Amino acid sequence: MNRYLQKNYALFNREVKTDDKFTEGIRKLVRTPSLQYLLFGVLMCVVGFLATQKILPYSWQSAFASTFAYAIASIGFCLLMGYSGLASLGTGGFIGIGTYAVHYVMVEAKLPFFVALLAAIGVSVLIGLIVGFISLRIEGIYLVILTLALSEILKTLYAAIEPKLTLSMKDALIFGQRLPTTMSLTLVMVFLVIVMIITSNLINSPTGRAMLAMKNSTAAAQAMGISLIKYRLMSFVICTAYASITGVMLMMVMRSADATDPTGYYALITSLNILAAVIIGGYKSIWGAVFGTFIMYGIKLVIFNQIPFLANNSLIITLASGVLVIIIAMYYPGGLAQLLLEAKTKISAIIKKMKEDKYGKDLG
Amino acid sequence: MARILANSYHSKLVKLRRALDFHKEELKALDTKYDEIVERKLNAFLKNANRRLSKLAFEACDKNEYARFVLEEKLQRYDVKAYMSHRAVNHGAAKRIFKAIRDGASFDDILTDRAEKMQRIAEKRAAYVRSLEKDRDSFISKTGSSDSKAYDAERAALEAAYLEEEKALKELYQAKIDKERADIEAKIAKLEDEISKIKASSSTDHSLPDDVLLSVKGLKMYFGGLKAVDDLTFDVKKGEIFGLIGPNGAGKTTVFNCITRFYDATGGDMYFENKYGEVVDLRSFKVHDIILQGIGRTFQNIELVKEISVIENLLVASTRSYKTGFIGHVFALPSLKKEEKLLRAKAMKILKFMGLESYASWYAMGLPYGILKKVEIARALMADAKLIIMDEPAAGLNDSETAELTETIRKIRDKFGVTILLVEHDMGLVMNVCDTVCAISFGQMLAIGTTEEIQQNKAVQEAYLGVKEDD
Repeated sequence: MNRYLQKNYALFNREVKTDDKFTEGIRKLVRTPSLQYLLFGVLMCVVGFLATQKILPYSWQSAFASTFAYAIASIGFCLLMGYSGLASLGTGGFIGIGTYAVHYVMVEAKLPFFVALLAAIGVSVLIGLIVGFISLRIEGIYLVILTLALSEILKTLYAAIEPKLTLSMKDALIFGQRLPTTMSLTLVMVFLVIVMIITSNLINSPTGRAMLAMKNSTAAAQAMGISLIKYRLMSFVICTAYASITGVMLMMVMRSADATDPTGYYALITSLNILAAVIIGGYKSIWGAVFGTFIMYGIKLVIFNQIPFLANNSLIITLASGVLVIIIAMYYPGGLAQLLLEAKTKISAIIKKMKEDKYGKDLG
Repeated sequence: MARILANSYHSKLVKLRRALDFHKEELKALDTKYDEIVERKLNAFLKNANRRLSKLAFEACDKNEYARFVLEEKLQRYDVKAYMSHRAVNHGAAKRIFKAIRDGASFDDILTDRAEKMQRIAEKRAAYVRSLEKDRDSFISKTGSSDSKAYDAERAALEAAYLEEEKALKELYQAKIDKERADIEAKIAKLEDEISKIKASSSTDHSLPDDVLLSVKGLKMYFGGLKAVDDLTFDVKKGEIFGLIGPNGAGKTTVFNCITRFYDATGGDMYFENKYGEVVDLRSFKVHDIILQGIGRTFQNIELVKEISVIENLLVASTRSYKTGFIGHVFALPSLKKEEKLLRAKAMKILKFMGLESYASWYAMGLPYGILKKVEIARALMADAKLIIMDEPAAGLNDSETAELTETIRKIRDKFGVTILLVEHDMGLVMNVCDTVCAISFGQMLAIGTTEEIQQNKAVQEAYLGVKEDD
């Protein structure tokens, strides 16, 4: 063959990799988790906008907003349970720190929103450090008991100090502007996306690996130079801080809180729901935590409340979610994240089989 | 009190040394730092040159041959498609024939149908070939003769330009590398200076003989009334493979746990020459600080993180070598990425040495036991351990894997200059690999010596085989 025709017209006969930079770049971008989270946030804002324009049901706006506010706490719990191997039932109590920070800073002291947020994070970090330092030296069930007790104490405390909180329209200011109720989903999504990105960075960093090592084997982790108390405390404090952010968001969205309500924010049921959400979603996946929360809170508000029979008999929904938790814990311990992964592999196997039927094994 | 003071003095050093280690690692990776960029730039150059040449190549080539080449290529592509339709026809016919056989009907018409279809495919191909040939003829009649002068000249010029470009790029980056090297070396000198100042200000009164790495003196570990280890004394020399043997419940693992500070020894002293060449009292450290002194360990039952890849498991061991803190991790700052890149390169080097580089991105879950044992050893090496403590390395391995492990243990001793302290039940491995063996029973020393001495020792034989009653 002519030497000009073959590939050897190339200089030094060297093959040059000619990958398409553009498609490769797009593919890389799509695979970046932070961008996925951002896209999700934008999508949800669009849904919120459509809901306020009454193209979608109007109630979806606040339903999504409160669901994704709870998702922030779920992500913190996901970090605590999936990565550090700890569990806490104090979420409800820590949500209260956020709501009271909003009350005292924004309503009483008339200070800006971000001061309330910083106050909520600061107080929850402080309480998390104190509680963690006492309880994290012991493992397992003791932390659960201690946080449960703490949550009940906080709840009683809230009821004694100021049982009913309200955030009136004139106090709900952000950057000196009034926050219309139609924008609350956007506000929640901004914080949810930030929390998702931060958490995803953290679990892919040496800190996340250290936490996983600690969960797998405390002895090996210690031998590798990982201080147990430091990383346990870190994940516990992050969990409490996220819960307090949830409290701030709930206050901004729902505008009221009631400590005497047996199914309110501070009740044990909130902590249990968050726990169930993380179990359903998959306790090691951020997406799982978000969609688990959606199943625990969102589906009821978004879909079932539109059906009159189910809206009148909400016990059925509670029962169904309980059954779902049992089924998932028994058959899919990895949660929805695992379920999706298995579905994906099964579908690709079916496609492969179909190709083989059509073209034969050598070509399929 | 003295121990607390010693501890604070070490914690000051830890920071400085972490920075020092980072810069040293940076220095090691400097030579190949810009290779990727140079390669990318050269590739871009080549791509450009090839595009220009490919235009000229058409002018230069023999047109008859070019036309034949094009025809063949097109025909090949066509035949791949034709193969598919052949297959589809055969497949369909076969299915129908099977059905006909099952129903007891005749299938002659199916066969004729198939033959007709095949005929049609063949006719189509013949028509395609004819059209291609027509194209070829018209192409040859249209274009002129070949001229390779322009191509050859351009090619020579581009080759020269490429070589020049390569040289220029290498010089440019060499200059950069030299500058960075000077910077890093200055930083290292400064850090070393600071470290030596701190060291001079505090005096360590411990000392060990030159060839001893670890000295255990009168070690006691009591659990209530149970004397798990009672007054045990031995020295581990530098660069040797030291075996600790004994019947079940002799207290071997307890000794290990005392050295690695999982247990706080009831009494006795343990001195160790750490990786910076100072003699330290191991009892002044917390369990998670032991690795910073250069003691790595492997476990009897593999204790790897199953949810992350093999290379990330190695990185777990260097958690303490990251300079970036929590903020850096949360926001994935560039400084973290830089460190991560360096440490990954280091981990990859270790994996290559262990022959595990093909498993680097595999999840630790589901890998064979023998591989995981090696990964654990690699993890201990990742922390620059000077002493590796192995708890029953051969447990759960078959004969060939044990032989391989023996080889690996020797290899890492020779290459990395580490000292190895192992507890083992497999006498074959112990006698094969160890330089010194220490036999203990009920927490007390029976004998210490070379493998032959231990094999001949009466007390050891009794402990293992029981007392002989007759003869």
